[in-house]
Amino acid sequence: MLVELTVNGESRSANVPPETTLLKMLREYLGLTGAKLGCDVGDCGTCTVIVDGVSVNSCLMLAGRADGCDVTTIEGLATADELHPLQQKFEEHGALQCGFCGPGMLISAKNLLDTNPEPSVFEVRDALAGNLCRCTGYTKIIEAVIEAGEMMNQEQATV
Amino acid sequence: MATRVKDVQTNVEDLVTAREARAPSRQPLAVPIDQPVTFPLELPESEARLRTPAVGQRATRPDGRLHGLGQTQYIDDITFPHMLHAKILRSEYAHARIVSIDTSEAEKMPGVIATLTGAEVPENSFGPTYQDQPILAYPIARHRGDGVAAVAATTEQFALDALEKIRVEYEPLPAVFDPLEALEDDSPKVHGGDTNIYTSKVIKKGDVEAGLAASDHVFERRFSTQMVEHVPLEPHATIASWDGNGRVSIWSSLGRITLGREDLARTLQMPQSRIRLIGTVVGGNFGGKNEITNEPIVALLSRKSRRPVKAIYSRGDEFVSSTIRHPFIMDYTTGVDNEGRILARKIRLVLDGGAYCSWTGTTIGKGSILAPGPYNIDNVLVEAYAVYTNKTTTGAMRGFGAPQVCFAYESQMDDMADALGIDPLEIRLRNGFSENSLSPTGQSLQSVALKESLTQAADRFRWKEWQA
Amino acid sequence: MRPMNYIVPESAEAAVAILAERGENACPLAGGTDLVVDLKHAPGNINALVDVSGLEEFRGIDETDEGLRIGSMVTYGEIMEHPVCIEKTPEVVAASHTVGAVQTRNLGTIGGNLVTCVPSADSAPALMVLDAEVTLIGTNGWRRMPIEDFFVGPRKTILEPCELLAEIWIPGHTLGKPSSFYKFGLRKGQALALVNAAAALELDGDRIVEPRIALGAVAPTPIRAVKAEALLDGQVVNAKLLDEAAKISVTESKPIDDFRASRNYRRQLIRTLTRRVLERSVEIARERQEKDKLH
Ligand code: FES
Ligand code: FES
Repeated sequence: MLVELTVNGESRSANVPPETTLLKMLREYLGLTGAKLGCDVGDCGTCTVIVDGVSVNSCLMLAGRADGCDVTTIEGLATADELHPLQQKFEEHGALQCGFCGPGMLISAKNLLDTNPEPSVFEVRDALAGNLCRCTGYTKIIEAVIEAGEMMNQEQATV
Repeated sequence: MATRVKDVQTNVEDLVTAREARAPSRQPLAVPIDQPVTFPLELPESEARLRTPAVGQRATRPDGRLHGLGQTQYIDDITFPHMLHAKILRSEYAHARIVSIDTSEAEKMPGVIATLTGAEVPENSFGPTYQDQPILAYPIARHRGDGVAAVAATTEQFALDALEKIRVEYEPLPAVFDPLEALEDDSPKVHGGDTNIYTSKVIKKGDVEAGLAASDHVFERRFSTQMVEHVPLEPHATIASWDGNGRVSIWSSLGRITLGREDLARTLQMPQSRIRLIGTVVGGNFGGKNEITNEPIVALLSRKSRRPVKAIYSRGDEFVSSTIRHPFIMDYTTGVDNEGRILARKIRLVLDGGAYCSWTGTTIGKGSILAPGPYNIDNVLVEAYAVYTNKTTTGAMRGFGAPQVCFAYESQMDDMADALGIDPLEIRLRNGFSENSLSPTGQSLQSVALKESLTQAADRFRWKEWQA
Repeated sequence: MRPMNYIVPESAEAAVAILAERGENACPLAGGTDLVVDLKHAPGNINALVDVSGLEEFRGIDETDEGLRIGSMVTYGEIMEHPVCIEKTPEVVAASHTVGAVQTRNLGTIGGNLVTCVPSADSAPALMVLDAEVTLIGTNGWRRMPIEDFFVGPRKTILEPCELLAEIWIPGHTLGKPSSFYKFGLRKGQALALVNAAAALELDGDRIVEPRIALGAVAPTPIRAVKAEALLDGQVVNAKLLDEAAKISVTESKPIDDFRASRNYRRQLIRTLTRRVLERSVEIARERQEKDKLH
């Protein structure tokens, strides 16, 4: 079936078998390998992408369901010459080690900061509960998210 | 919208606070838990500190940016034209003789290009210490995670469908799951022979019986730990491409590629010079990716199909088939004087090894040496045995046996402190290693900051206040 | 996943008709957080998915004279953001918050959760204490029933083949009723409940009126603790009474023994959680009385 999406601002489409998940479509049909397959059952969050403003496990969502939707993946965070504040802060804090959880983690964090730019530690933990990281122990991730929020607020203020 | 989240949160937070208020007399610490630690840490100046200026500084990882951008290429992000996907069929029994395997129906399934069984592997055994593990079990399967056959097909789903068509005839054999039972004479023997013990270690220092006899108090207790899977977020992954010149290139999430190449040369029975093993960025290892798993299978499927083949473990494969941490059963007998000084410690460790040896040698070594704990003890006896059981293979995992024994000896330190009415910190300071202490194996230890670390840490988390 | 047909029906009636026509091989698809996982591992003979998640009849949250209507295909994320839910059914919001994690809550629907009908479904107890009803649409048209009657056994509801859960109704008189929900899992995020408990009650002076207690993961289906409710009804609140009711609710449950927790541990949890949700509901009712006095 033909599925048409706007991915990171670009219109993309592919002819996929109906049982294709959104994750498979992004990775195998659109060449966007940022989102990862960690568990295939909705537990780990490595496949997290934003669909029409809300974050979802793309391993559980059929591509057909996303037809006509606006999708943001990790590839859509940075511009050609600037990192997203989250990416900058994650790098500064060393918040990623093996990095496999990173794309999903950053997308969940972005989804949080888009609606709540000054989250408490509790809110960050709650928002990232669906993103497992086996390497870091989360502390640096939480610090990075909070600082990225502050940075985004400052940028907002200076505009 | 933000207020909304907070509304919901109040409820949960109320509940949490209410729960904490009901907790036994523990006063919340004055320092809020989420107060960030500021870097660089202000650490006391000492000679050792001046020689190691990097300690306590924040380092940025060179690969951190790519991770954040989603540009890091893990194996599953790599594809080749014409590439096939492989899946592995696992044993139906924990212990069985494979009477026959029939892949003919599977081969007729749509998309299937090649199949493989253990009988086709040139040298069907590998392992970092003993080469007791088959690539694909044949003729005996020793645990449920043992692969018995593999399929390469044009899609993962075709490969999975084909697995269901493979007919395996098993003759179930008696199995053993409990490591203590596995020690018994009449237990089923996982690898034949007359014992399931495959590695042991003894450490002797002084005279442990005399030390126990001279003690004012003797504490005895059994501690045990469970199996732990590494759960790297990136499952084990491999791509192999066998070319027309008879060379094979293998992209693998393996952490130790030089060792892996040796195992590949052995199992494929070809010179290392014809094997190109490419270690890619690893999405989490923790010891679980220290030896080959499906690399030879994928390589042989590529040779048979003349196409690149990729195999990614499912999360299920990961749990049953990749290695895990050794469960330990630990019997501790410790003699102390009235002041809590340890005079003797006698330890028996039984390591539940699962079906194959893997990194047990290292684990039993480190586990045994560290078993008495970082304490000055004149009389020590450690006896450690690793036994086979019909369960998931245990292997390397962070600390190689150190965390298991640490749980036991530190628990017993607390037991003793409690029984003798000594402060748990104090009993550790009385017994702890200091500069030039001798380890149980007679190594003279340098740069020992155990007591300083304990005292500093206790100060920082206000141990005294908690005790009050 | 095996090859599937993916069908998006025009209306609820069309969905029912498609399901009737295709029989056993077709399956309605809601949020997919359970079904898609099942299909990946054990698809059985299903070869068509009828995606009902976007159907107008099953969507939306509206407050009417009758009460609050929540479409079965409303996601947990939507409930958590809806101003009316936040104001009038805060415990349904709290229960929603304990389901999975953000990503799964944005896909998973409240109706899907009820239809999956696992004993630990988090939304069920919170809805049951508010005397919620459900409406169903099938080949014989619509029907409506109390939510308790919807659950028949583990993974088994009253739905006939080809029948769909359409709406959840919370009657007007229980909107804003003092209530409380508590879930206990082995960890905070993404855990299945070992036990979840909800309570709702009004206070008339010091007397408890219309008490409701519902428990999840303690029996084959979510249950009401009716004997405990009867004990409370019309009585003057005191700590002992609440604990007594909590004790009785343990006798009304049949918790299982499994690798997550022992039966005995679950029993203790039932008592503790029931007492806490009752205490909390009383507290809310009291606060409300204070406020009313001020006005
Ligand atoms: S791969 Fe989707 S949640 Fe793990
Ligand atoms: S950095 Fe490895 S899983 Fe998070």
